[in-house]
Amino acid sequence: MNVLRAWIEERLGLRAVALFLEKKEVPRHKHTFLYYTGSSILLFLAIQTVTGVLLAFYYQPTLAGANASIVRIMTEMPLGWLVRSVHSWSATFMIAIVFVHLLGIAFTKAYRKPREATWVTGILLLGASLAFGFTGYLLPWDELSLAATKVGTDLPKALPVVGAWLTLVMRAGEDVTGDTLSRFFIFHVSVLPLAVLAFLAVHLFLVQRHGMSVPLEEERKGVKGPVLPFWPNFAFREAGVWLVLLGLLMTIAVLAAPGIGPQADLMAPAPEGIKPEWYFLFMFQMLKLFPARVLGLNGELVAVLIMMAGMAALLLLPFIDNRPFERKGKVITALAWTGLAYAIGMSIWSLL
Amino acid sequence: MKLPYSLFSRRTFLNSLIGGWLAALGSAFISPLVKYIVPPTREPDQVSVPLADIKDMAPHTVKGFAWGNKPGLLKKAEGGSFIAFVGVCTHLDCNVSFVTEQRRFFCACHEGWYDENGLNIAGPPPAPLRRLAVSVEGDALIIKKQA
Amino acid sequence: MNGRRRMIAAAGIFLLGSLIVSGVPEARVQETPPASVKPAAATAPGQETPAAPRPARERMAVYVLLAWVWLSIAVLFGLLRLRVREADRVFRMGFDRAAEKAPKGPGY
Repeated sequence: MNVLRAWIEERLGLRAVALFLEKKEVPRHKHTFLYYTGSSILLFLAIQTVTGVLLAFYYQPTLAGANASIVRIMTEMPLGWLVRSVHSWSATFMIAIVFVHLLGIAFTKAYRKPREATWVTGILLLGASLAFGFTGYLLPWDELSLAATKVGTDLPKALPVVGAWLTLVMRAGEDVTGDTLSRFFIFHVSVLPLAVLAFLAVHLFLVQRHGMSVPLEEERKGVKGPVLPFWPNFAFREAGVWLVLLGLLMTIAVLAAPGIGPQADLMAPAPEGIKPEWYFLFMFQMLKLFPARVLGLNGELVAVLIMMAGMAALLLLPFIDNRPFERKGKVITALAWTGLAYAIGMSIWSLL
Repeated sequence: MKLPYSLFSRRTFLNSLIGGWLAALGSAFISPLVKYIVPPTREPDQVSVPLADIKDMAPHTVKGFAWGNKPGLLKKAEGGSFIAFVGVCTHLDCNVSFVTEQRRFFCACHEGWYDENGLNIAGPPPAPLRRLAVSVEGDALIIKKQA
Repeated sequence: MNGRRRMIAAAGIFLLGSLIVSGVPEARVQETPPASVKPAAATAPGQETPAAPRPARERMAVYVLLAWVWLSIAVLFGLLRLRVREADRVFRMGFDRAAEKAPKGPGY
């Protein structure tokens, strides 16, 4: 065993990584639990990749075959319904934890200098995760997903100049067709995974380089607070968190497995009760409520512009909030709380 | 018989317990995935061919039918009875054809030959063509897996 | 054998036993799917295909699997807690850092 270890060490030189992990420390304070969120996202990403590959074994990304192949997976393949259920629920879990991670970092202002780049790559990862959800939602090609995709890809049309072109690109044409399905599929299984890997590599490197950030109260104390060594103290705790998350995922996947609706009919009217996945509900509700004309402009355009402004603000938050602990920072924190309350309120409203 | 000293330390025992149980839990997660990778076999239980399609067949001729995903070969024998084969070469799974003039089955991949009863007579095939059971029920010929 | 060892031995036997026992319904499931799953394929158009495991045996096997998962999590949690407590104790005692501060003997 030791001979093998020496052989690998001579060629790969991984001792540097091991030394780094031995020295890595995790600060202990009342928000330490937030440090678990990052690795939990990784756990679910891994589960998504594995179950996704397995689903892709039998899924057929064509107009004729998509819905039927998923029905086949659910009824003929041994435990296919479970693989699909895990993939679907793990997506929800992952995006939920992404939001917790985002909120934890935003409210502790961990994006302040020198961690601005970490934040930016993080927002890019958020965008990629939501894109994963959006592209994946179309793949079953049932009535609900077709309607949701039609609405979603219609949104850019409201933008001036580039809007119509963007919609053409997203839909692979004027309307949502089999070509749209192929495009979404290749984004979901190839383009987005590669993008996420690239962003993740930079994000993780930056996190290790800068170390764990501490909340302002700890930083203000001046002295280094209590810490936990990453290995084995924090890592074993993390393993415990992973175990519980896995158990919850398995339980809910078994007890609440999703079904699939009838195949989409491109000519049929939109079914009642269409809605996107939960993480898009607040945007969905906003579009529903916006009046047709606002201040002489197209209502939808205004809504889309507000959403884009929100996304830009999120991306550039560390640069906007450059004095996080003075008055400006406090105002931005209050705005952030309002934004969060708005998103949650709108999401709940859309379900009523 | 009581040992004077322990064969392994308490630490090793606990480590093995953790590792072993983790492996068992892992297998609980992996086993559905492994099962999923192997789809169930798709051969049909039986296939029925309407008699109307085959009553005009001359003896010693062969007609194809679908046996699941594989080609089936229905051969009319001298006395009017039928034999059915799975038309897949027993060498490396290529589809075989029937050479009517020679009354033999031929596999083009590696030049394997079978006689009119499916017995492998020349070339690489190691075994005869697989036979299927044929019976007449009503106005159709029922072809089943041989018991 | 004192109480602690007895407990550990019992846990080990339980582990092996339940591992073997849980394999039995899983193995049985493999034989049933082709026969019992076929009728599900014919769903009327306009109807949603639910995703529950229909064959009764497969349903039981899945619940057994779930129970096994939670039992394993509980056991592993307990063992992990032992390790975490030990790691914390070692850290507090400063064993790992003591090596740097240890006085070096003559000749070093």
